[in-house]
Amino acid sequence: MTPVSLDTLRRSAQLAGFDWSDAELEAIRGAVERALESLARLERLPLGDVEPTTQYRMP
Amino acid sequence: MTDLCWASMADLARMIATKAVSPVEAVRAHLDRITALDASLRSFITVCADEALSAARRAEAELVAGRPAPALHGVPIGLKDLFNTAGVRTTGGSKILADFVPREDATVVARLRMAGAIVLGKLNMHEFAYGPEGLNAHYGQARNPWDAAQVRIPGGSSSGSGVAVAAGLVPGALGSDTGGSIRIPAALCGITGLKPTYGRVSRAGVLPLAWSMDHVGPMARTAADCALLLRCLAGPDPLDTSASVLPVPDYVGALTGEIKGLRVGLLRKFFLDGAAPEVRQAVERAAKALEKLGASLDEVDLESMTHVAPASFAIVASEALAYHAEWMRTRAADYQPDVRERLRMGAFITGMHYVRAQQIRALVRAEVDGALARRDVLLAPTTPIVATVLGQTEATLGDGTTDVRSALIRLTRPFNFSGHPACSVPCGFSAAGLPIGMQFVGRPFDEATVLRSADAYQRATDWHARRPVLA
Repeated sequence: MTPVSLDTLRRSAQLAGFDWSDAELEAIRGAVERALESLARLERLPLGDVEPTTQYRMP
Repeated sequence: MTDLCWASMADLARMIATKAVSPVEAVRAHLDRITALDASLRSFITVCADEALSAARRAEAELVAGRPAPALHGVPIGLKDLFNTAGVRTTGGSKILADFVPREDATVVARLRMAGAIVLGKLNMHEFAYGPEGLNAHYGQARNPWDAAQVRIPGGSSSGSGVAVAAGLVPGALGSDTGGSIRIPAALCGITGLKPTYGRVSRAGVLPLAWSMDHVGPMARTAADCALLLRCLAGPDPLDTSASVLPVPDYVGALTGEIKGLRVGLLRKFFLDGAAPEVRQAVERAAKALEKLGASLDEVDLESMTHVAPASFAIVASEALAYHAEWMRTRAADYQPDVRERLRMGAFITGMHYVRAQQIRALVRAEVDGALARRDVLLAPTTPIVATVLGQTEATLGDGTTDVRSALIRLTRPFNFSGHPACSVPCGFSAAGLPIGMQFVGRPFDEATVLRSADAYQRATDWHARRPVLA
């Protein structure tokens, strides 16, 4: 698992417009690392020309 | 009076229409039971006793005046507390919306009232629908009625809906389902719950969790009652651009009890293989029962399922935080801790993650469509485990140990992601006496076949007819 520093979390949260404390960020650091690791696995899938969808077909 | 509280919605509607029972009797019987039991069950956030009795008296007067009775005339119902109700607070199970009183009904609430249903109150839920355990720190913890000795989770997020229907406090309820929030409490509380196809039922006036994954649907003690409710709920809605304009079939008429030749695909890998042994065995027994009724059974694997968890997480976390962003900046302390932490996770999902997830969604949808091209329904456990004790954090599945939250949504979330309709029905009990649920999954907009399968199974079994022992 790639470690995510507290500083990275702080900057990412600030970019998204949230000013969360170090303690608040530390509490979710492990979960964020696990989530990013699982999302990174999706990057390895051959999805090149698959068109993304947002909703089910709605006749 | 207690018998009235165990009557089906269809029977109540029939008894009221023929004047065998008055709407006032029906409403009063359920309100009395709520008074007697809900202090410990905690399934309601708001009970609308006065409004319900007034509506019941009006319904009675209409019958006396000889006016025709619509499908649910005088029949009591409960609403998860995220459906807007004109003049009645809609909290979303939160402190933040504790005093929010909508001016208008959600489309589905208006449709239920048009059909004659009488709203008894607003039901407990996981705060803002963001959790499958059914936890609520603000309005009391709803308790699973099947275990009086210990506090077990009811499942969520439509926890109050599951508890109230299972305990006979309401004959039916509305829930919403973003990752399993109708089907999980239905399975854990031993009732029936239908998540329709995305677009089948309007979401207008319903507090969102994740717009592209949210579904509204009925919860009741039988598939027949879910069919009755869906007939009233479904249809186009100018207030919801995602609502389909496809005609609404006669779901009740589709319940023939006949499933000879029905092609059932049993989902083995990931679904049955991932379930605890007693859950797996119960579903396998149910599959054999369907075969005895004339269905043809084969096994099918969906290879893309392992991608669903991260992809749907990316979508739900992003959409949920987008909705809650302003409150997360100004009132973060007012969220219960688990929901606040879950919402924070959305800040670390990038736009590229979100688009990748939508690409995966296309793959998953295509694979489920492919499995249903040669089958009428798919069959799987609803949850891989039965109701856990409140505070339990880990669960043992058929393929390893995981956290309870992930376990609960593992088998339901794929069909929020894909949008296919799925109905959970009781199919057995654990050695500890806790309900086990299985889900029928159907083709898009083919709720009729899903409900026909579930109803045929219920005609042949009595799991759905068992009642918890309550003090």
